[in-house]
Amino acid sequence: MRDVAAEAASQVPGVAWPVVGALPPGARVYAKFTIRSFQKQLAYKFEYFVGVFNGLLFIFIFTSLWRAIYANLEAPPAAFDLEGITAFAVFAMIVRISMTQDDMSTVGKIRSGAIALDMVKPMSYFGMMLAECAGQTLFHWFTRVIPVLIFSLLAFDAALPRAWENWALLAIAWPLGYLIMFMVNYLFALLAFWFIETFSFHLMKYGLFTIFSGGIVPVDFFPEWLKPLIESLPFMYILYTPTALFTGHIAGAEALRLILLQGAWAVALGMACTVMWRAAQRKLVVQGG
Amino acid sequence: MNERMSEREPLIRARGLTRAFRVEESQEGLLGSFRNLFSARHRIITAVNNVSFDIHPGEFVGYVGENGAGKSTTIKMLTGILTPTAGTVEVAGIVPYEDRAANAFNIGVVFGQRTQLWWDLPVRDSFDLLRSIYRVPDDLFTRNYRELSEALHLEPLLTLPVRKLSLGQRMRCDLAASLLHGPKILFLDEPTIGLDLIAKDKMRVMLRRINQTRGVTIILTTHDMDDIEALCGRIMIIDKGAIAYDGATERLKREHVRHKVLEVEFHDYNPEVVSIPALTLVRREGNKQWLRFAPEAATIHEVISALFRDYCVKDLSIHEPKVEDIVKAIYEQGAAPKADAAPVHA
Repeated sequence: MRDVAAEAASQVPGVAWPVVGALPPGARVYAKFTIRSFQKQLAYKFEYFVGVFNGLLFIFIFTSLWRAIYANLEAPPAAFDLEGITAFAVFAMIVRISMTQDDMSTVGKIRSGAIALDMVKPMSYFGMMLAECAGQTLFHWFTRVIPVLIFSLLAFDAALPRAWENWALLAIAWPLGYLIMFMVNYLFALLAFWFIETFSFHLMKYGLFTIFSGGIVPVDFFPEWLKPLIESLPFMYILYTPTALFTGHIAGAEALRLILLQGAWAVALGMACTVMWRAAQRKLVVQGG
Repeated sequence: MNERMSEREPLIRARGLTRAFRVEESQEGLLGSFRNLFSARHRIITAVNNVSFDIHPGEFVGYVGENGAGKSTTIKMLTGILTPTAGTVEVAGIVPYEDRAANAFNIGVVFGQRTQLWWDLPVRDSFDLLRSIYRVPDDLFTRNYRELSEALHLEPLLTLPVRKLSLGQRMRCDLAASLLHGPKILFLDEPTIGLDLIAKDKMRVMLRRINQTRGVTIILTTHDMDDIEALCGRIMIIDKGAIAYDGATERLKREHVRHKVLEVEFHDYNPEVVSIPALTLVRREGNKQWLRFAPEAATIHEVISALFRDYCVKDLSIHEPKVEDIVKAIYEQGAAPKADAAPVHA
């Protein structure tokens, strides 16, 4: 006869991660979501290799492109010399990979009605999604960002900055950029509460992001008349700002100004997310009755 | 159990609960489609209209209605997912849509069509995640975890990922998941949908046990009237957004069963007319007749005596209409039995 009670007791799940156990209970649950989401990613090995390959391919394309363009210029533009623009292109792509986020899972949940299940849990939906997103990102850090970074340092003319200031600026600008991107995605995803078909909104978002994030063409190269518009959209604070600060393209007071603007955007978007979530709850038609 | 006896305060109190939706009305034809682009016409649909009820601790309530009658909308307002357009609702002292999270600690929810478990995780890991979500104290969690895994026979399932479970197994795990934090109220939405007969039966036994031994108040929505007959002491019928009946399931049967049906098999021949006053012919087939019995015209004893005296009866059985038939009749009449709409517990 097996001792059922003893066996059941031995199976009671414990806190598997000591780090998580050390957190206050309120934060613990979000940490678990992060870890679980990280684990989930491990299932997709193929995607991992494709991801690394894609990253390197894009870096190759953009650095080659800039070289070709610069070879035909009589004098390099004031903003970047050839070395500067190549470094910018490499790190902009790496920052972009490091911020990869799944922006469609909320849309899927709203459409299928599965969001109802998240809403009967005593936790913030925003916090839950951010925690999950962080798990994916953490995964991308280990599996894509680091390999692509190492390859890039070896194969392309890019070097990591030596000064600690650059790293310190990255440590502030990257999380803010990440948060801004998450909240932009979140706001667009919530549109699914109001509209059945949101594909065109997402297409618009991708378009705006690709052009105005300054990740492909640095903001410096845009015509003067367009700059006020770019600066009043959130996109350049996602990619351009961390990249420009990290590579040392922007420093000093201007760097500080950009970080303050990032902070302001994060606060404004945070409020927008709260307002929109509340409105959604009033409006909510959960699909499926 | 003691709670049920002593506490007369309702656990759930809904007053004038109303929820309207604005739906876009599409205009017909190609021209209409273009018109829709610029000026959509809207129509207001009142999914739940001025609904009031009390539910007391320990009750097992069946909440039934046709598709679109307003069942799910009501449940969503009770669970804090939806904000009512008008009226008030309080669940264990909390207004669910004002404090969704606080309400969530008091309730468990099982949707038959969806799982709250994490698809790619072993069941045990899902439970652990829920433990964190609901901040269940260790001792309480251990106790609930043991009790539930024993009662629902979960031991062999705990290490399997959810996607490998059969529907019946998954429902058992979902039920356990909804009870781990020891909620006062359990909302079940179609918990037996898609289950085979044996699994259905097991599920019902477990639900009854949870209600009786753990004292959990259960609100069950279902299309399966056998669930209601087997489990629910009280039935609430919602029709076109309004409560059409609210009362004891037994009383529903007693009051709305105006007739029984006698299935009579005759020897050798099948009489043209059975001339017994209280009986009317429903159907005939071979040597059998189905006869409706009107209780106000005679007693069942008189009718059966007459049958056996006047005819060569080989076999006889009496059918009571099922709750299903009564509910169908109520849908057809609309909200006719209005007299029953008042809360029975007053």
